[in-house]
Amino acid sequence: MSFILELITSFVRKMLELLTFGGKTLTNTLKIYVKTNTGRTLTVNLEPQWDIKNVKELVAPQLGLQPDEVKIIFAGKELSDATTIMQCDLGQQSTLHAIRMRPPTIQREKLLSMSLEEEEPTGTPTEEASKPLNETLLDLQLENDERLNITDEYRVRAKAHFFVHCGQCDKLCNGKLRVRCSLCKGGAFTVHRDPECWDDVLKPRRIPGHCESLEIACVDNAAGDPPYAEFYFKCAEHVSGGEKDFAAPLNLIKNNIKDVPCLACTDVSETVLVFPCAAQHVTCIDCFRQYCRSRLGDRQFMPHPDFGYTLPCPAGCEHSFIEEIHHFKLLTREEYDRYQRFATEEATPPPPCGTLGSVVCSALPQS
Amino acid sequence: MTAMSPSERRLHKELMSLIKEPPPGVTVDTESVQQNLSEWKLNIKGFEGTLYDGEDFQLLFKFNNKYPFDSPEVTFIGNNIPVHPHVYSNGHICLSILTEDWSPALSVQSVCLSIASMLSSCREKKRPPDNALYVKTCNKNPKKTKWWYHDDSV
Repeated sequence: MSFILELITSFVRKMLELLTFGGKTLTNTLKIYVKTNTGRTLTVNLEPQWDIKNVKELVAPQLGLQPDEVKIIFAGKELSDATTIMQCDLGQQSTLHAIRMRPPTIQREKLLSMSLEEEEPTGTPTEEASKPLNETLLDLQLENDERLNITDEYRVRAKAHFFVHCGQCDKLCNGKLRVRCSLCKGGAFTVHRDPECWDDVLKPRRIPGHCESLEIACVDNAAGDPPYAEFYFKCAEHVSGGEKDFAAPLNLIKNNIKDVPCLACTDVSETVLVFPCAAQHVTCIDCFRQYCRSRLGDRQFMPHPDFGYTLPCPAGCEHSFIEEIHHFKLLTREEYDRYQRFATEEATPPPPCGTLGSVVCSALPQS
Repeated sequence: MTAMSPSERRLHKELMSLIKEPPPGVTVDTESVQQNLSEWKLNIKGFEGTLYDGEDFQLLFKFNNKYPFDSPEVTFIGNNIPVHPHVYSNGHICLSILTEDWSPALSVQSVCLSIASMLSSCREKKRPPDNALYVKTCNKNPKKTKWWYHDDSV
């Protein structure tokens, strides 16, 4: 009996693995870098079915520690022992952070010394290990009341999904959300809460957290307030090119979790672009390209003072300009070249780099 | 069928629903459409109880490959052009949703409804005041006309 069960579970696992890695890798073993806050980086090979406890057992001896003295941080979360590697959206050559647990006495001492000078910082959160961010994060389209009353069935569908324009793959790709400290840029950072809307992700100083990337925890100001999280995106479809391999988030591209038909072709597509108008008009990606193409042909893009050369919602709604102009990278290379030429001719300086999220334009090849 | 462009796909869908559930008084000239998906002839009847009761008109819709992001070109054709303050004797229609107020969320059906209501609400059968001059000087394509919409009631 148990033999059959095992057979079934291994089959399901195989299928899941196929899904997760798109069948690109022949072996499912992941080569992962483990960074410590003492400046060391270990290279380990992890099996997808392993859990975090296994990782601790593998890493701790190399650091001269006991497994229970180590905590593993990934994408803004301290991972619980039961979390499996498969559950994290780790790709080949991703980086995990292994941090030595601070003995509790030191923490208390530190707090005491702080409270002598200043009032105790409000709401020092109790940190506890959890599931990875990609498992817990719900789609940012959902309103607060929708988040609270979500059914388990819907939860699977409503899991957060991100899209990026990847300069290396030169196309619309699935994206991975990553978190680092806004001060030291280190990845051993745990968030105090999950982001709940795009502003939480794209705008600076929204979500505080705890940074352990350096021996001494980062603080935001002299009062010792916690530092803020900085969110960024990576392409999930090519092997990570290191911590600086960013991709531009396309925040208007979404999974069509509410099955809205395209405004233009009326098809219900899986992936759609939702315009930032009050009516939240939706087009499929093909129709969005067609829209851009037709407006580009008539030179009807608008030079917006803040966003650059852009388009509003095709239904002509108010306050509906596309703010992140990387969305126009969905056009073909020739069309995008033309877009850039027109934009230059219309002579509106592009918005300064890094105003949206933490996209560093040098990481995006200028065509 | 396999290699339809997004605009052809949309036209195909609209055509199907227009044939299946046409708005009152409207019929599609299926023969014209079968020849060319980008030019449709539609028959539209003057409603009972309006100034156009018993009259039959014909509309021509021309679509380019930017449809629905670009509005269709819509004109009255044939030998009966309705006498209406917003319809020129060459068939051109002064209707804002056909140019600046067009939205891809509109459709052939909604244009038909607008035209039907424009006809139905007419109180006096007369041509636009500048008809003679316009017809002599205008471009063949009504979308090239810089319309000056002065009457918001229709």
